[in-house]
Amino acid sequence: MKKDLQNLELLSAYLDNELTQSEKAEVEKLLVSSLEMQKKLEDLKKVKQLGNNVKRIPESPYFETRLMASIEGQKNESSRIKRWMPAAALAIVTIVIMVVMKFNPGLIDKMWEDQKVAVAGFYKENLQPVLLAANLTNEDVFNFAFNNELPLDNTRKKYLLLGYDDSGKEFFEIRSSDHKVKRESYNEFISAMNLDPGQKKTVDSIIGSYSKALEGQLLVNDKNTIAINPNLWNYRKAIFADLLVASEKLNKIKFDRIVPAGITNAEKVVVVNTLEKLKNTSGDQYIFVTPDSIFAGTYEFNSELFEKEMKELDKQIKFNEEKIKQFTINIRYDSSFMNFADDDTKHSFRIIVDSNICRVDIPEHQIPEIPIPEMATIEPLIEQATNNIHFYAYKIPKIEKSESGIKIEYYNDDSVYSYVVDYDMLNMDSIASANSGTDLYNLSKFKPVKPFDDTMLIKYQFDRDYYHRYYSDDEFKKQMEELQKELQQLSEEMKNQSIKVHTEVTKSRKK
Amino acid sequence: MISNEKEKDLQQPQILSIDDDYSIIRHFIDGDKSAFQVLVKRHKEKVRNIIYITMNNSALVDDIAQDVFITVYRNLKHFRFESQFTTWLYRITVNRCKDYLRKMNVRKIFSPIEDGYEVSEYSTPVENNDVSRIVMDAISKLPTKLRMPLILKDIEGFSYQEISETLNCEMGTVKSRIFRGREKLKEILQPLEKELMN
Repeated sequence: MKKDLQNLELLSAYLDNELTQSEKAEVEKLLVSSLEMQKKLEDLKKVKQLGNNVKRIPESPYFETRLMASIEGQKNESSRIKRWMPAAALAIVTIVIMVVMKFNPGLIDKMWEDQKVAVAGFYKENLQPVLLAANLTNEDVFNFAFNNELPLDNTRKKYLLLGYDDSGKEFFEIRSSDHKVKRESYNEFISAMNLDPGQKKTVDSIIGSYSKALEGQLLVNDKNTIAINPNLWNYRKAIFADLLVASEKLNKIKFDRIVPAGITNAEKVVVVNTLEKLKNTSGDQYIFVTPDSIFAGTYEFNSELFEKEMKELDKQIKFNEEKIKQFTINIRYDSSFMNFADDDTKHSFRIIVDSNICRVDIPEHQIPEIPIPEMATIEPLIEQATNNIHFYAYKIPKIEKSESGIKIEYYNDDSVYSYVVDYDMLNMDSIASANSGTDLYNLSKFKPVKPFDDTMLIKYQFDRDYYHRYYSDDEFKKQMEELQKELQQLSEEMKNQSIKVHTEVTKSRKK
Repeated sequence: MISNEKEKDLQQPQILSIDDDYSIIRHFIDGDKSAFQVLVKRHKEKVRNIIYITMNNSALVDDIAQDVFITVYRNLKHFRFESQFTTWLYRITVNRCKDYLRKMNVRKIFSPIEDGYEVSEYSTPVENNDVSRIVMDAISKLPTKLRMPLILKDIEGFSYQEISETLNCEMGTVKSRIFRGREKLKEILQPLEKELMN
């Protein structure tokens, strides 16, 4: 049976001409001998021929076109997906960030803080005392105590000025030397106090003793950073108070002129205690003024370490005969000056900037972290002394304005001149006399105690324009002489018209 | 780009050699995408015909043929030149047809018999006298494993060797299946012998 099937399969293959020669010979042998096989071959042939009758499918002329369109379509599909890949990636990143932020909401703040720390770190590098950097003299330290200003570098081109606004809040300004109050304050003080060279030496030594204490209060570096310890304001008061106490001992008569009420023993104790506290306090809070930001931060200035380093540096310099690299603080301010203004105003500063001056108002809390309540008790003393020293040393008139008139006091050659001008009755004589007697044009030489303090100009009763117009000495003198003549003429005319003119001119000498 | 002359030569299907297909494929691999169109032109009708007879449904031909050539397009870069391109092409064609038939059989189980285009051994008897139609219907009633070798041999004229390579089976199996296919076809056509004779 199996043999028959094999023979039939061979017969089918014989029909297809797919047999080897031996197989073919075998099949042909079978065919010769078997009618059944012959019939089977015929049947298979008929079936095979049926295939020839099968019609082929008509050609499709559009097949390639459709195929290629389909292939292109699939390519576009994938490129469309590729085109959306960036958006999809962005969406995924956004989702990831959202998830991260949900579970770690302080992340951005932390990154921001880290960034701030990094920037702050950069500007805090290599800070050194301005005392050394600017090579401060006794004159500079005295000027600081007396005029609130300190040079910021060796070239004396930039100055730091401390001040208080009308509400008593501290501010500081960094200004160019063009706007510095040019005074020989120390020498003026010595002359006002009439101190001999020996006494001057004593004052020198007192000032010298503060150099060390001031060391860590104002730091600068070559990255144009200025680090101001808010304690600097207290230092200024304390140094000034100490100088007053010392000057009382040196020249009591002159001192009484400056501080008529004198200094009580209690006040002296406060001064000593305040100084002691300040010297023993190393506040690590600083206000950093940098070329691109102003921020408050901590900085630990180790004076001993610094001293050690400086000694080491000195040795090296001597050994290598190298020169210390001098640097110049060069801070240029423009309107783009920014500060790290946090939402919380306690960390922010109000900054006023023009081409020459940068003024920074300091929030109240920034100043003394050190509680010095006693300071308040000596403040009136300091204020009184300041005014009087200005009065005696710099011949700046005291001008008191009231509802009824203006009282002007002026010191010259140990004499005090006092003039009162009433509003009620036009006192032409007093004005005329005052002009002739007080050498008023000399006022133009005086500038306000606080630079840029317009209130002083207002106190002088000089209109700004008027002040500037007659700033030139010659012109001012000429104008005043003309005014004097006119006033005298007017006075005569008024007398003739029986108008009552009240004149009150007092001239007193004070010892 | 293949030159027009070369394209003309390639389009002459009278004598196709291995080298012809190989050179076209090399052009394609070298980045000439138009070579693929030449390849399609040369082989599409044979592919379409195998599909047509295997599926016994003209409506499906172009869909399946497209499927075949898209597969070729995607994989042509990896062609290894170890066998004839046509062997690879027809194997893909047969496999696609098998896939479709399998799907249709599955669908047949869950669908009403009269639904759609399916033609099976249970379908309505042939009503027209077209021999071609009768034979195709009869072939479509063959089991797939007998149908494929028979079509490739008796309609497409493949050698046993080619059928063996295309269907990936032994020569003996091909020989046996062709015989059995013929026997089965004869059996199916027995009732229609008179019509066929006419």
